[in-house]
Amino acid sequence: MRRRLGLGFWLAASWIGLVLLAALLADLLPFPRYDETLAGPPQSGPSAAHPLGTDGLGRDVLSRVVYGARVSLGVGIGAVLLGLGIGAPLGILAGYRRKAADAVIMAVNDVAQAFPALVFALAVVAFAGASLRNVLIVLGVLGVPSWVRLIRGATLTFAEREFVLAARVLGTRDRRILWREIVPNVAVPAASYAFIGMAVVVVAEGSLAFLGLSVQAPQPTWGGLINEGRTLMETAPHVVLAPSVVMFLTVLSFNLVGDRLRAMTDVRESGLEPVRPAAAPALPAAPHPVHDVLLQVEELRTHFTTPRGLVKAVDGVSFTLERGKTLAIVGESGSGKSMLIRSILGLLPGTSVRGGHVYLSGDDLTAYGPAEMRSVLGLRLGTVFQDPMTALNPVRTIGAQVTEPLRVHLRMGRREARAEAVRLLASVGIPDPARMLRRYPHQLSGGMRQRVTIAMALSCRPDVLFADEPTTALDVTIQDQVLRLLHRLREERDMAVVLVSHDLSVVARWADEVIVMYAGKVVERGPAREVFARPRMPYTEALLQAAPRLTDPVHHRLRVIPGRPPDLVDLPPGCPFRARCPYARDRCATEPPPLFEDGPQHHQYACWFPRDPAPAEPGSTNDTAHTRADTGSTSDTTPTRPRPESTSGGAGPETVTGDAASGVESRGR
Amino acid sequence: MIVVHRLARLLVVLVVVTFLSFVLLNLLPGDPVTQILGLSATEEARAQLRRELGLDQPLLVRYLDWLGGLATGDFGTSYITRMPVGAELAERLPVTLELLIAAQLIALGLAVPVGVAAARRAGRALDQALTALSFALLSTPVFVLGVVLILLFAVTWQVVPATGWTPITLDLGWNLTSVILPAVTLGCGQFAVYARLLRTDLIATLQEDYITLARARGLSPRRILWRHALRPSAITLITAIGLNLGALIGGTVIIETLFGLPGIGRLIVDSIFSRDYLTVQGGVVLISVGYVVVNFAVDLVYAAVDPRIRRA
Ligand code: SF4
Repeated sequence: MRRRLGLGFWLAASWIGLVLLAALLADLLPFPRYDETLAGPPQSGPSAAHPLGTDGLGRDVLSRVVYGARVSLGVGIGAVLLGLGIGAPLGILAGYRRKAADAVIMAVNDVAQAFPALVFALAVVAFAGASLRNVLIVLGVLGVPSWVRLIRGATLTFAEREFVLAARVLGTRDRRILWREIVPNVAVPAASYAFIGMAVVVVAEGSLAFLGLSVQAPQPTWGGLINEGRTLMETAPHVVLAPSVVMFLTVLSFNLVGDRLRAMTDVRESGLEPVRPAAAPALPAAPHPVHDVLLQVEELRTHFTTPRGLVKAVDGVSFTLERGKTLAIVGESGSGKSMLIRSILGLLPGTSVRGGHVYLSGDDLTAYGPAEMRSVLGLRLGTVFQDPMTALNPVRTIGAQVTEPLRVHLRMGRREARAEAVRLLASVGIPDPARMLRRYPHQLSGGMRQRVTIAMALSCRPDVLFADEPTTALDVTIQDQVLRLLHRLREERDMAVVLVSHDLSVVARWADEVIVMYAGKVVERGPAREVFARPRMPYTEALLQAAPRLTDPVHHRLRVIPGRPPDLVDLPPGCPFRARCPYARDRCATEPPPLFEDGPQHHQYACWFPRDPAPAEPGSTNDTAHTRADTGSTSDTTPTRPRPESTSGGAGPETVTGDAASGVESRGR
Repeated sequence: MIVVHRLARLLVVLVVVTFLSFVLLNLLPGDPVTQILGLSATEEARAQLRRELGLDQPLLVRYLDWLGGLATGDFGTSYITRMPVGAELAERLPVTLELLIAAQLIALGLAVPVGVAAARRAGRALDQALTALSFALLSTPVFVLGVVLILLFAVTWQVVPATGWTPITLDLGWNLTSVILPAVTLGCGQFAVYARLLRTDLIATLQEDYITLARARGLSPRRILWRHALRPSAITLITAIGLNLGALIGGTVIIETLFGLPGIGRLIVDSIFSRDYLTVQGGVVLISVGYVVVNFAVDLVYAAVDPRIRRA
């Protein structure tokens, strides 16, 4: 992907062109020669005749700077070509024949870096004679190690790419591969570094000249001019400033051109520029009652502005949760379930827009400022993430991390916090907690780390614990322990738990309520037993069928739903699951199914052609069980009394009989 | 184990560097005998002096001789000044050390807060300003920067002397005024390198789960930046401090000349002009040892900063 080079690049390139041209045509330019004394009054400032003024001997400063450019650019170009000429073949060889070369390269690097290069350049030039040729050779040779390193690195990245490997497998001769595949690809980084190398050489030559060890007088050099001009600093500062500014601009230009060339080919940077959030479009929620419950989430939306377009990661999710209950949120990765948690907690990146409301005991958290939010986070809302390996700060002790919330939120003293931390760690089943405080995360097993993060999340006795895939990264046996622990702690502390998981066996055992998410939306919800016994939405059914069963042989455990989750950037109209749904009909393509409600247990589902529920408890048959949804969250979107119909295209969901119960049977608990 | 391994590698590097520099310096044209006696000396006098200085021995013998002396801390005696090189270096070293340390302190003292502030609001005005400034600073040759700073602070505003050196033992205040401008000149480029490295690493660290979780625990942004994110982000910065030392020492050669400081860099330049091989050689050794030792120390600092490394 090509990126625009930008104005800076063209300005810099023009400056380089200008200096180069002036240096080449210096003899033709209408100013006095560099060594013509008394071309004007000595030490006079800039004037029409002498745009950059004159120096102590009345020589034209502009002329001297332009002639000085000959040395700087000449040495620059020569030394870079020399370094490239020696370094490129060595680098390609080293990258291509990696094994043999690595040791040598490492050794040479070690020595080269400990070698005071500038001192060497000084010594060599001083002893061998300060001539253009010697300076050029010394600086060129000193640049070789960098060139080898660069070219080797570039070759390495390409030598392992498919097209080169393919050519190798096909038996193409090495030399052919080098010329056809590698050299053209290494050319761009080399060109980029050629400019940066020019900057380095121009500075180095300037340094030598400044010390009087480059091309000798009367030929002017930039470094020499600056050194001379120093003595006149008090009376005629322009004499020193003119070459200084020209030199600075030239070095800057070389760096800029090299940097832009590199950025142009750098895949990491292309197309991923952060996009500013579009002037936050208000995402208002419909009027709704605020219930007297612990947590109420109302029409929560989280939209991201990305370079490709608007992503609706969370699109209108509502639920309520009471103390002592566990709500499970299930879905494949990318269904928006983790983003839902972050959205509730207000932990979203800057490119997102949030809509809807989150009520904690009736207070709207979305109206809170950052400081108010911090007084709730950690204190009333605890959080546990999926991967215990990344959830703890690797460079801080467990003790520092566990006591921190206690000290910050509860204002405990050091001793008190440590004592409490020991109690906390013991309560999550960590043996020898006092010693644990002094350890670092890397010294702990995954299960232990997850226990620590749970202890941290619980340290301030939160009302709600958000557990985002708390066991996914753990061994099966540890998983069970951690889930039991969470359950026990919920009972002990009368908390509510929001358990996010893609693993239905986890959810089925520990959850009271289940929400199934797909493409950012709720597609099915209800009491856990009910949903697992009688899934209505085909996606839930597929999830259940894909879920690993303990009776499966180990290698069968990872079953997946065929197809992929849809691209959230342009969701198709109609049902988001349509492309993967075995029961899809015409209607699914045009109209998105709303949430229907079925049965006395508030079992809701978004599907036009739901699966046939297995015979429910006596007294609640399908025909009579359809009622209007009356939970506050969905009442506005649920259509009036969906009823079973025999033809597609009707207003309500169709009941499909048949193989629906397959895969559910074995889940029955 | 790893310490022994590294020490061995360190020694090898030093032997190679000294050997290369010894051979190179001796193979270059120019002869201390001519330098001392002048061009008109008789062949006999020259031979006599060669014997006295030990220059009639083969190169390898002279190197081993010198290396043996070095092992006991003897840098040899200058052919030109007939003074022990070690004493001369020891006299100059404090100046260069003070300059280097002051430059590093200035660079780090500025780079850490600026890098943290830029990372906190990545992509905003301050961050972009830092990017532009560091790019400009990295494109400024140290002698150009030095000249401009002298022009501003010593000539125009006259707040500090342009050149000269007051030893710290003589007067602390004057010592500081004489070190501040050279140290700033030297530190500017380092500041640019450090601030950019720290910013980039911090931005990466701030994406980590443990940072999001720290936010989820209701900790303040300031606490998260300084207590949680800074230390894990500092590894690259610490490496850079070690690796940049080479460039920095190259800079001292220029700086000491520009500001008239009697340090190692100036001594080396002067010795080069007077063909004082052994002094140049001594300077090279000192610089290489310094470089290698500092990088060795950096490895130890790692372990203090990142407990994960301690296991190795
Ligand atoms: S609405 Fe149609 S496509 Fe969507 S899940 Fe139901 S049957 Fe399948």
